Amino acid sequence: MACTSELRGIQRNLASLEAAGVRAVAISADTNDESRELYRKANLTFPLLSDRKAEVIRSYDLLVPHGGEDNRDISGIAEFLLDSTGTVRWRHFGETKAERFVDEAKKL
Amino acid sequence: MAAKLWNWRLWSGFGLSIGALVAYGFLVNETRAVFWPALFLFVIAAVLLVSGLKRRSREPELYRGKIAGPVLTTLSVLIFGLFGFVVYQVLRVFPDAKNAPQIGQRAPEFSLVDANGKNFTLAQLLSTPITNSGGAARATKGVLVLFYRGYW
Repeated sequence: MACTSELRGIQRNLASLEAAGVRAVAISADTNDESRELYRKANLTFPLLSDRKAEVIRSYDLLVPHGGEDNRDISGIAEFLLDSTGTVRWRHFGETKAERFVDEAKKL
Repeated sequence: MAAKLWNWRLWSGFGLSIGALVAYGFLVNETRAVFWPALFLFVIAAVLLVSGLKRRSREPELYRGKIAGPVLTTLSVLIFGLFGFVVYQVLRVFPDAKNAPQIGQRAPEFSLVDANGKNFTLAQLLSTPITNSGGAARATKGVLVLFYRGYW
């Protein structure tokens, strides 16, 4: 299974992020049913947003065509830390350790 | 008979090709732009290797009995092949993300629904204060947006 370690990493560090004034959301091309399954399995309390048509994923230029099961289009892994004006202050492609973005969040 | 010479071109060409592969592997997540520098290093490595081999064939006396030339060149070609394979895998798994919002740029607005049917927009995530379990609210300083491959 792909990438739940990253989601769990955010969940573990949610309190530190929120103490730094940063809220977390995760976006994928999953259906809402698949997201519900993930919520349940990984005990997540932050929003998993469903971008079924991959429109947002496209607007961030993260689409991986046919990258998923059944050849469906999915998102690549990426993290963006935005400040309160919505400006990107830090970004990273691929999986990363939660400590990295907690450190970056504290700098905001 | 002259002392056998150490063919530095071959060795540095070989070292450079390893360096290029390792640097690409370490930096590809940080910057997508690392492919061309890595390829450039491979080109320099190839030039060094070829010139090392030429020198070797021109003055066989000096380098006689040394097996390092063909071995290093073969290994370098293998390393370059590995580089090609890694690049292919990276392109397959990661998007190019050339037009992904850069540091200092405004992130594109979105409006999406979560698994509970609740709508979230970026603007609203940025402006709604964070409420902790005790009910105390604090101003939002930022939002971490994670894109993930999905369940399956």
